[in-house]
Amino acid sequence: MAETLTTDSGTHAADRDVFFPQPDGSRVPYAVFSSQEVYDREQERIYRGPHWSFVALACEIPNLNDFKSTFVGDTPVVVTRTADGFACWVNRCAHRGAIVCREKHGNAASHTCVYHQWNYSCEGDLQGVPFRRGQKQGDIMLVGMAKAFDPAQHGLRKLRVAEYKGLLFATFSDDTPDIEDYLGPQMLPWVDRLFHKPIVYLGCTRQYSKSNWKLYFENVKDPYHASLLHLFHTTFNIFRVGMSARSIPDATHGLHSLITVTKPSVETNTASAYTDQKIRSMQDGFALEDPYVLGQIPEYEENCTNQIQPIFPQLVIQQIHNTLVARQLLPKGPSNFELVFHFFGYEDDTPELRELRLLQANLVGPAGYISMEDTEATELVQRGTARDGDKTSFMGMGLDAPDQTNSNITENLIRRFWAGYQRTMGY
Amino acid sequence: MSNWHDVGVPTDFSEDEPRAVMAAGEPVAVFRLGDELFALHDLCTHERVPLSEGFIEDGCIECPLHQGLFDIRTGAPRKAPCTVPVRTYPIRIADGRVEVDVAGAEALA
Repeated sequence: MAETLTTDSGTHAADRDVFFPQPDGSRVPYAVFSSQEVYDREQERIYRGPHWSFVALACEIPNLNDFKSTFVGDTPVVVTRTADGFACWVNRCAHRGAIVCREKHGNAASHTCVYHQWNYSCEGDLQGVPFRRGQKQGDIMLVGMAKAFDPAQHGLRKLRVAEYKGLLFATFSDDTPDIEDYLGPQMLPWVDRLFHKPIVYLGCTRQYSKSNWKLYFENVKDPYHASLLHLFHTTFNIFRVGMSARSIPDATHGLHSLITVTKPSVETNTASAYTDQKIRSMQDGFALEDPYVLGQIPEYEENCTNQIQPIFPQLVIQQIHNTLVARQLLPKGPSNFELVFHFFGYEDDTPELRELRLLQANLVGPAGYISMEDTEATELVQRGTARDGDKTSFMGMGLDAPDQTNSNITENLIRRFWAGYQRTMGY
Repeated sequence: MSNWHDVGVPTDFSEDEPRAVMAAGEPVAVFRLGDELFALHDLCTHERVPLSEGFIEDGCIECPLHQGLFDIRTGAPRKAPCTVPVRTYPIRIADGRVEVDVAGAEALA
C-alpha cells in the first residue's frame, strides 16, 4: 500500500520544492514520485503539452464508427474511426461535464450523454439537444434552448490525431511536431522494424500499480535490473555472456529510448537450442519441462530476443522473442498508474507463429514470467520514498561513459530521461 | 393483406403539426403536406421518442430529442444522428374518414 502521509498542518510530506542536484539526471528527488503539485504540472506540461500520447492501435478500431475509451494523461478521451480517418475527443459532455461514452470499446455512429441526452457525432460535433425548440403543452409552446445557442460552438473538445504505421497518437497542443519528427531518427527505424507490415490485434491485459508512472519509465529504461530482479531469467539462465546490446536514447530530448538484446548468430535460437544446451538453473533440479515457451521463430533481419522501446509519455513498444506488444502507460494520480499490454501479431502470421506469440504472452503482463516483478519493484520504491521527498536516488552505473550505447549494464537511459524531464518540466 | 383502421376525419390533421394516433395498438404519427396525408411509425429510430412531438420543416419531421430529420413522404433519414429509415404506413381517405393500414407497413425502398 502507498499510504498518503500527512503532517499536522495538513500538507503532504512530499510536497516540497523539487530540486534536482545534478543536471545529468543521476540524482532524482523522490518528491517527483508522490507530489500532487508535480503531478498536476506534468498533466499541463507533458500530457497537455507538445507531446504525442499513444492512445490506440488502429487495428483495435478496424471499422467505421468503432470507438475506444482511453486517456491522455488522466483526461478521459475517446478515439473513433471516422469516414475521414480518426478522431479523438475529450470524453466530457459540453453541457454539464459528464462522461459521454461509458464503454471501453464498441461501434456507434453517434454518442449520447445519458444525463440530458446531448448527442454527438463520432467526430465529436454536437448534433442535437433535447427540447431545443421547446415543448408543446396543449396550445402553449414552452420555450427551449437559448436563441443564441449555436450547436457548432458546443462540440466536444477535439485533439489532434496522428497515425504512424498503425499506431495512433493524440495531442492537445498545436505545437507538437509531426509524428515522424517527434519519434525522431534514432527511434524510427526500430518502430518501423516492428510495424513494417499490417498488424492484427490479439487482445490485452490490464493491471494497476500503486506507484508513480515515472517509476515504470525508469524500469523500461533500465537493462541493469533485468538479470537481477527477474528470477525467471536467472533461474533458466536466459541472459548469457556473448549477447550484444544496444541502449540508445533519443538524441533530441532523451525521453524516448531503445534497448535491444541480440544473441550471437551461431546460436540462432529455437527451443531446441535450449534443450540441446541442457539449459538449467544454477541450482540443480530446475529445468523447463517444455522449453518451447522460450523458442523463437526468426522473423526480422536482426534476430533480437528483446526490443524494449519507450516512446514518451504513454507508449512502450516491445518485442520479446515472438511476443509483440504496445504497452500503454496511464497515470492515475501521483501514486498510481494503469498499464495495458496490447498484444498484436501480423496479418500474415503462420498458425505456428501465431500460436507461439500467444504462448509467449505468458512472459509479460501482470503475471508474466519475466515482468511480474517490475510493478512490484516500482511499488517498493513508492513505499520507500513517500516520506522523504527531498532525498534523492543515486544512479551511477555507466556514469563515466555517458555516450556508451552498447551496454546493458548501464543507467545512461534513465539519466537521459531525467535530464529531458527536467527540461520539459522546467525543473 | 390490408388492415385499414379509422384514425379520424381529414380536418383533424393540419399542416402545422403532426398528430399522434393509435392504429391497432401501433403508435402512428400523421402528417399533412398540402392536400396529402402521410403516416409514419411514431417512434424515432435513433432514440425512443415520439416523432409526433417534433417539428415539421420543409417536408421533414425534426425529432425533438436530437434534431435529426426524416422525410415525411418516405421515412428516409435526412440528417444525423438519424440513420435508419422510419416505417411508413399506407394512408387513405374513404367515405370521409382517414384510415391507416398498419398491416401494410412498408419498408423503405
